[in-house]
Amino acid sequence: MASAAPLLEMRGIAKSFGGVRALRGVDFTLAHGEVHALLGENGAGKSTLINVLSGVFPDYEGGVEIDGRPVEFHQPGQAQAHGVATIHQELDLVPDMSVAENLFLGREPRDRLRLVDRRRMHREAKALLERAGVTVDTGRSIRSLRVGERQLVEIAKALGLEARIIIMDEPTSALADVEVEQLFRVVRDLRGQGVGVIYISHRLEELEQIADRATVLRDGSLVGTVDIAGTSRREIIGMMVGQPLQDLFPKGEATAGEDLLVLEDFTLAPRRPRPGRAEPRGVTLRVRRGEIVGLAGLMGSGRTELLETLFGSGSPGTVEGTAALEGRPLDASSARRALAAGIGFVPEDRKDLGLVLGASISSNVTLAALQAFARGGLMRRQQANRAVDQSMSELSIKAPGRGTAVSALSGGNQQKVVFAKQLLTRPKLLLLDEPTRGVDVGAKAEIYRLLNSLAEEGLGILVASSELPELLGVCDRILVLRAGVVVAEMTAAEATQERLLEAATSSEPIKEAA
Amino acid sequence: MSDVDGPGAPAPATAGSGASAGAAPGGRGRGLQMPKGRAQWLELLFRFQSLFGLLAVFIAAIVFSPARNGELLFLTTENLANIVRSVSEIGIIAVGMTFVILIGGIDLSVGALVGLAASGVAVLLMENDYGVVPAVALVLLIGTAFGALQGLISSRLAVQSFIVTLAGLQVARGLARIWAEGQGVPLAYGSGKGHAPESFSVLNERLLGLLPVPALIFITVGAVAIFVLRRTTFSRHLYAIGGNERAARLSGVPIGRIKVAVFAISGFLAALAGIIHAGQLNQGSPNDGAGYELDAIAAVVIGGTSLFGGRGTVAGTLGGALLLGILNNILALNNVDANVQLLIKGLVIVAAAALLTLRSSND
Repeated sequence: MASAAPLLEMRGIAKSFGGVRALRGVDFTLAHGEVHALLGENGAGKSTLINVLSGVFPDYEGGVEIDGRPVEFHQPGQAQAHGVATIHQELDLVPDMSVAENLFLGREPRDRLRLVDRRRMHREAKALLERAGVTVDTGRSIRSLRVGERQLVEIAKALGLEARIIIMDEPTSALADVEVEQLFRVVRDLRGQGVGVIYISHRLEELEQIADRATVLRDGSLVGTVDIAGTSRREIIGMMVGQPLQDLFPKGEATAGEDLLVLEDFTLAPRRPRPGRAEPRGVTLRVRRGEIVGLAGLMGSGRTELLETLFGSGSPGTVEGTAALEGRPLDASSARRALAAGIGFVPEDRKDLGLVLGASISSNVTLAALQAFARGGLMRRQQANRAVDQSMSELSIKAPGRGTAVSALSGGNQQKVVFAKQLLTRPKLLLLDEPTRGVDVGAKAEIYRLLNSLAEEGLGILVASSELPELLGVCDRILVLRAGVVVAEMTAAEATQERLLEAATSSEPIKEAA
Repeated sequence: MSDVDGPGAPAPATAGSGASAGAAPGGRGRGLQMPKGRAQWLELLFRFQSLFGLLAVFIAAIVFSPARNGELLFLTTENLANIVRSVSEIGIIAVGMTFVILIGGIDLSVGALVGLAASGVAVLLMENDYGVVPAVALVLLIGTAFGALQGLISSRLAVQSFIVTLAGLQVARGLARIWAEGQGVPLAYGSGKGHAPESFSVLNERLLGLLPVPALIFITVGAVAIFVLRRTTFSRHLYAIGGNERAARLSGVPIGRIKVAVFAISGFLAALAGIIHAGQLNQGSPNDGAGYELDAIAAVVIGGTSLFGGRGTVAGTLGGALLLGILNNILALNNVDANVQLLIKGLVIVAAAALLTLRSSND
């Protein structure tokens, strides 16, 4: 009976915002037990389509049917009643409540006195977690869970609401490869239970593993729906960008010069060890001028901690071993000192650490280099404006003007603003943490090109990423971290995804650095 | 792939745009531009919310002004000058409060600092035989140091400024009572011991017989603050800290130093307001300035500054302070009960807050 009509059918969906058409007559179908990828660059209309399905908008054009029956989605409650659940990029869990409390938020089981029946709640929570393939204590707070675990708890919550259509928005962007594997197992399991999954991701290499079909949107219009099995990544990228993409990873002509950053036995002894942080231990590495060095490793392997310690924004504590920039001892006791020493840092979480979201492009870009645009404490606005305009055109930041609030930009353009801010400080060494997270394919390629040209100009770049193809594509050398220790080092020629993963996940005990 | 082009094409031709195309071309053009124009109007309204509010209250004041001998009482230069004088103390404090709120903080100690400064300057002049300049300088220094210390504690111990300045409020009030031995100290002008120098009464004078000196100080403070917030790197740091402190730190903004400076400014201006208070009333009492912190916060909020920090202007705050002053004035001119005045003030604050919320949802 159910197989006669598709689980979900959306026909001719259109939506405008104040005269701007965000969606133009898009069709989308989802079969029972199908994982259907929704692809497109930022601004292509993915979010709008998903929001229609989640009942975010009071009005839209077009028709939606579930199991062949027409339904209306004008409020979030209606979507939920029809079994649609969304797992957002920014997770919708209350951090300081327990797993069980979150799973039953707003529908807590009651006992005879109308009080919360805690025992039953934890029992049922445990069953839901099992279905979602995660084993965590139901009494733990969400805050104490890793990102991957939180995501699985979200899935359990959706299952608890008897969701039949689960929308996953960039589910793997914050996950390490091992956690991605676990998530995929759960998704395949859901598929077996007849749940339909709409899967949004910028990581095209995942699709072959998880998705059955892919629908590509561009500029609010449907480009097409294809079977993953018979379609190459290159073809899909071509559909997304509208023109065949040159190689995503341009190979730079930079040749490594003399030593820029040299770490020997670099260790951070934190004043107060923080759980979940792998501080650098006995790290020895060098970055030469014009060289791009990669940091690989699982989540929690200490990539971010190493970069933060070098930039003076890590855990407070004492640094042991030696760190030298251009042969001089590096004083990175604060971000201010690190910037003065010639180090730039593009942090992982641009909204939290990289940008003042409510402020203009201009304010953000100049923020780290204000002294260069001031005399006697007074801003020299023309000079600053000229520099900002130049940055915007060099990095092709697309915005109405330099006064536009950064919050109004797409992820890719926001990331370029973070880069522009760091580059205005004229750094010698750039530290990059997940430089293309949440950035669409087009902007990714632009960022890779930028890295190459910076290396050609003689900058040294140390880049941490959980996307192995990215590291393999841009780096001259790659170091693998585990528990804050460098466990392997290989040149671009030697490195493969398999070898990197093997080094990152090996269970061999770590020998203290020689 | 080939079946894709079909459904995509017909959708853009919607009934709505077709219908309006049939109407007069001129009307259609205006119709299309309307949304943009309206958004711009809203933006303008938000940006200058306190100025529009000010204008509205000003017009209302003219309409409701009682007249005597065919002259509107509200519009007499005497009355207008009095309004500026009456808001000068709160206005000066509110300027400092704007700086604090812009970095996402709050300063609850300013009212108590007014009491400390008013009684302190009175004691120094009357009992310690200080000259006007040393007395004023010492009191301003005390206010500045008090504020700076609060900023230092707040940033070093990472305690919210709400709590630090709540404690500071108690401490400042306590210090004022100890200093003045719990009494109001009246100022008797004259020479010799037990008299305040005649020159201190300049605060009761008017420039060119028109502009009261406190109002002049208020306007000067406002102008300097507007310049600072528009042109200096310091202000860029303020807005960045208020917008996202963590990102500001990673951009090399000296967070601790800026916080100390901001609270020092607030303390300095509160002390200045306290000195003016003593001069206007010819006495300084340790209980002076009670509740002023809330009036100042009200002026800042009405002026469109976000309590979360990162956005707002001093010009807005000046408008907010004047708006409250005009409101009080016109209600008093009409002999409206003082308690009813409070109710109306409350409504105005809520209206301003509602506008702010509307603005953030408009972004």
